[in-house]
Amino acid sequence: MHLSPLSALLLLPAALATHLRISVPSTPLLQQPSTLPPSTHATLITLSHHYSAPLTVSNAFEFRNVSSGSYLLDVHCHTHFFAPLRVDVHEGLKLKSDGSGVDDIAEVMAWGTFRGNEWGNKGEAVVVKEVEGKVGVWGFEVPARVVKDYYIERAGFSPLSLLQNPMILIAGFSMILVFGMPYIMDNMDPEMKAEFEERQKSSPLSGGAQANPLQSFDPAAWLAGAPSAGTKEKRDDRAPAERGVTR
Amino acid sequence: MRLPITVLTLALSLLPSSHAIFADEAYSVDYQHELLGLPQPQTTFFHRPRKDDKATLLYTLSDLGVLGAVHPGTGKVVWRQLLAGEAGEYNASSKGFLRPVEGESTVVSAVGGRVDSWDAMSGRERWGNLFAGTIKDLEVMETTSGDVKDILALYDEDGKGVLRLLKGESGNVKWEYHGEITDVPLQVSTNVEKIFVIALHGTTGAYNLKITELDPVTGKQISEHTLRSLSDVHSPEDVLLVGANSAAPIVAWTDKDFKNLKVNILGRSASITSLPLAEADGPITKVEIHAPHLIQSLPHFLVHSHSATSNRADVYHINPASGTIAKEYELPKLSGKGAISVSSQAANVYFTRLTEDECIVVSSASHGILGRWPMRFTGKDGALLHGASEVVQRTGDTYAVRSAVLTSNDDWLLIRNGAVDWTRPEGLSGAVAAAWAEIPESENLAKTLEAEAHSNPLSAYIHRVNRHAHDLQYLPAYLQALPKRLLTSIIGSGTASQSGVLARDSFGFNKLVIVATVRGRVYGLNAGNQGFVLWSSKAFDIPSNEKWDVKGIWVEQSKGIATIKGSKGESVTVHVVTGNVLETVAPGSDFIQSTVVVETPSGALFLPISLDGNLDEVPVDQAPKDNLVVQGKDGEIKGLKFDTKGPGASPVVLWTFQSGPGEKILNVVSRPPHDPVASIGKVLGDRTVLYKYLNPNVVLVTAVSEESSYVAFYLIDSVSGDVLYSVTHEGVDIQQPITSVLTENWLAYSLWSDILVTEATLPGSKGYQIIVSELFESAVPNDRGPLGPTVNSSSIEPSDIPNAEPALPYVISQTFLIPEAISHMSVSQTRQGITTRQLVCTLAGSNAIVGIPRHILDARRPVGRAPTPAEMEEGLIQYHPVIEFDPKMALTHKREVIGIKDVIATPAVLESTSLLFAYGIDVFGTRVAPSAAFDILGKSFNRLSLVATVLALWIGVFVLAPMTKRKQINERWATQ
Repeated sequence: MHLSPLSALLLLPAALATHLRISVPSTPLLQQPSTLPPSTHATLITLSHHYSAPLTVSNAFEFRNVSSGSYLLDVHCHTHFFAPLRVDVHEGLKLKSDGSGVDDIAEVMAWGTFRGNEWGNKGEAVVVKEVEGKVGVWGFEVPARVVKDYYIERAGFSPLSLLQNPMILIAGFSMILVFGMPYIMDNMDPEMKAEFEERQKSSPLSGGAQANPLQSFDPAAWLAGAPSAGTKEKRDDRAPAERGVTR
Repeated sequence: MRLPITVLTLALSLLPSSHAIFADEAYSVDYQHELLGLPQPQTTFFHRPRKDDKATLLYTLSDLGVLGAVHPGTGKVVWRQLLAGEAGEYNASSKGFLRPVEGESTVVSAVGGRVDSWDAMSGRERWGNLFAGTIKDLEVMETTSGDVKDILALYDEDGKGVLRLLKGESGNVKWEYHGEITDVPLQVSTNVEKIFVIALHGTTGAYNLKITELDPVTGKQISEHTLRSLSDVHSPEDVLLVGANSAAPIVAWTDKDFKNLKVNILGRSASITSLPLAEADGPITKVEIHAPHLIQSLPHFLVHSHSATSNRADVYHINPASGTIAKEYELPKLSGKGAISVSSQAANVYFTRLTEDECIVVSSASHGILGRWPMRFTGKDGALLHGASEVVQRTGDTYAVRSAVLTSNDDWLLIRNGAVDWTRPEGLSGAVAAAWAEIPESENLAKTLEAEAHSNPLSAYIHRVNRHAHDLQYLPAYLQALPKRLLTSIIGSGTASQSGVLARDSFGFNKLVIVATVRGRVYGLNAGNQGFVLWSSKAFDIPSNEKWDVKGIWVEQSKGIATIKGSKGESVTVHVVTGNVLETVAPGSDFIQSTVVVETPSGALFLPISLDGNLDEVPVDQAPKDNLVVQGKDGEIKGLKFDTKGPGASPVVLWTFQSGPGEKILNVVSRPPHDPVASIGKVLGDRTVLYKYLNPNVVLVTAVSEESSYVAFYLIDSVSGDVLYSVTHEGVDIQQPITSVLTENWLAYSLWSDILVTEATLPGSKGYQIIVSELFESAVPNDRGPLGPTVNSSSIEPSDIPNAEPALPYVISQTFLIPEAISHMSVSQTRQGITTRQLVCTLAGSNAIVGIPRHILDARRPVGRAPTPAEMEEGLIQYHPVIEFDPKMALTHKREVIGIKDVIATPAVLESTSLLFAYGIDVFGTRVAPSAAFDILGKSFNRLSLVATVLALWIGVFVLAPMTKRKQINERWATQ
């Protein structure tokens, strides 16, 4: 293969240039691409090469004279987001597969790319084809992705949002309990009421005082030498009665 | 394709709402002057964007390279395109061209090597093409058929004239013509049948005009001849006019002392007609020629001659049949400066003459005045320089005229029938420096109170009673205004006072901005009143091909004056409220690299620093107290201290920092002068504290290497010269903007980084990055590092051990990927520094300014895992490598700001709020509240509902009180 050093040389990016036509298609999100502002432009960037093209009347970005390289394509638009693309432009001469000579090749490939991922991590390929009737003009589409929304609306006062607040719900429930309980008690028939009061007396909540004798221990009375269980008992008897009254 | 959107939504969901702009606050808290730059005489015209519609728009290509369409009725910008490249500066030598294509919705522009065709209505590009060389002239090739008109572009390619005919529909080259290498290409002209290339032929300083005739179809040379002009034409500027697209295009120049005008009708012969120029009040200083640019217009032209005090004009007719030129009539001499503009309607040619007293319209055919209107000027508009006019024939013999005129005050006016319709402050564009200024307080009350305090009690008491009695006269007016004040405070019509009186407000939003522009003008803007231009004054006359290089503005708040220093040592002092120029120092021979405000024993001083970084000896009482960091001749950085031991204070070089071999120092940033820190530590989730490294004497140096395309950042202690921290990034495109900022205990910079071919093992990503580094005293919480126990510390002797290493900060860095280039960075400032700072980034690519919240740029965000509850308590969110510039971050929201060079911040009185002002081509200002407006009631506060609630409660009490009383009485007295 005496040709190989030469072919390796030829494979180097030549100073030839490619014409790219990147169009903005009409999508449900952006039905009229002609409504995009005139400041919309696209940039093709790689190390030490930087191209910029404004959006033309035919809703396309025209990059003339793009030299070979692997570019990052960004579309800057004031009203819509566009996904970034990786655009590889190869142009030059390539050794034929059978080694019989060199081919003049020109190819453009485009993929989705992800910021924050390595450059080799390519996304979905974008269909690139030569524009009809034009030799050496490569075209593909970049659809608009998201509409840019610059503002936030102030959350206005609404009574419903107030009611959804759990604090308000708890407060409302306890209000009902406090105000509604006496009515329920009043409307209960006397037998049931008595039964209810009986149950309350024996319930551990109200009988909790007896459960822990230390709690009801009266040190003053004990020091005074009058550990009268009877008075204590009496006091305990009175307590539920009082409670019943306050209810 | 799903990932970007999910990433996007993730980024959106991360963003708390407090950083966005409320829909009801947009356009009320922020303001913008949408500017174009000064319109140029040859590139400003009225043109119909729709063929079958009579409405016209006003098009201009300004001196700053902005192409724009302005609505002539309102003065609002319809569309703009910045033709000067994003990176490339537009200078006056790269002259731009703009031509309308008659009968088509197209305007064609050419700047540098680019030719673009634009849709006149929408501002979208039709086509663009780039060629080698620089553009010298641009003309539209008129056709007799109805095809799209082709474009002629004359280039200067390595000193050789190259004429290209570009296809009107695609911009592709139809043919090229190469001129001779010895000639200087000047202009191109056409009369449909032939194309004329006019070049200067001869040696530098004395030229003959060489006319080459070309065939428009093939581009082949038909003939060429030379016009003898050796003694008159010395430079391309000496040729006054080369008419194009008229039935008889001419080339004209004057002799040296403006005695005669020499005219040659192109395509006729080499004969030169000499027309005498009549003097009017002294020698003629300037001659202008106005001729129509339409092929169907009558071949008439007007010669406008100016002298120092007056101006007059002559109208000439060309006879196309015989090739003779005859004077038809003249417009009489009028004192002062005046502007004449030409407009044509079919065959009719109208000349509009605007002077300070009146506006007249004449037809080129006869001297009868078609319309005359008195000028209604406010008197401050200045002299009229040049304009573009549109004459409309109404019914019968009545005419209407509107002219867009540039004045000597750099304002662009639209004068309709003598009355000013609108004024655009175009001189405000091209701002190079700006500074905030407080509105000087009226100090009368303070003075009286002080006087009372120092006099004896009795007289002070009498004085006070008198003063209060005197104040009584304002009581009725106060009482009258009271209901209105109450009403406005209930309805909440806004916080800033919109009355014409310039006064400080309690929130500190009313401030002034002093702006200096490239054209030597100084402006005063009221930031509290939508950036209203309060005054403008001419500081220096800057030639049109130069720029005023302002090195610094120093505002003395106590005196209410601002001093502006330029690079040639010139300076001007203006009053901040009135704009009166108090003092001017003419440019000297000492060039300065920068200026600095220093504290000296005798007060603050505005110190210029010469190009080589050396400072002169100064008296001891004027010696700066602090250390200075200057850049030397060879780009090295020096730390200076003034030695006050001798009779005079002389600067002593403490240290010198030389960047690595092949490195070039790009810039040096220090902490902002107003940079208060509210908390010296960062409280972590477990109640321990990471102490911030808060050294006021640090500078961040950016150095780049062009050969190896890397960038290095050095954090240097400005007292000792020690490098505290350094970092290098490889594979950086140094043609892309590299910006940095240093504040509090953190620094941030942005750059464009590529994957490296050599480092195939490391996965890389291509794109713009922003890197944030936070400096702490120690890696361990609750530890203050080596400086911990000491009360005082010195950068030079960091510890008791001799020659010890300096105490290095513990640095945490994090890199984020951003979608586009940041061309400038600055940081919001608040009064106490309690509010978190916001990084304000200018995005030249999308004509916007974004504010990135600090918590997104936190270097301590946990990587690769969800934050622990303790970290969540700190407000840390999981690291995500990409920061999408969410539109809600955009401080400029829907506005498009172009050419922003710098953003300056100042604190308001309210702690939550920082005022921002951005300048460049456009001027933009806003208020930001990075931690939400916690100390002011926003527009969401509904005063009306508050008042309604109070009223309802009040009514309730009044209704219920008698009822309760009755019930109580009944309870006691009523019997069952």
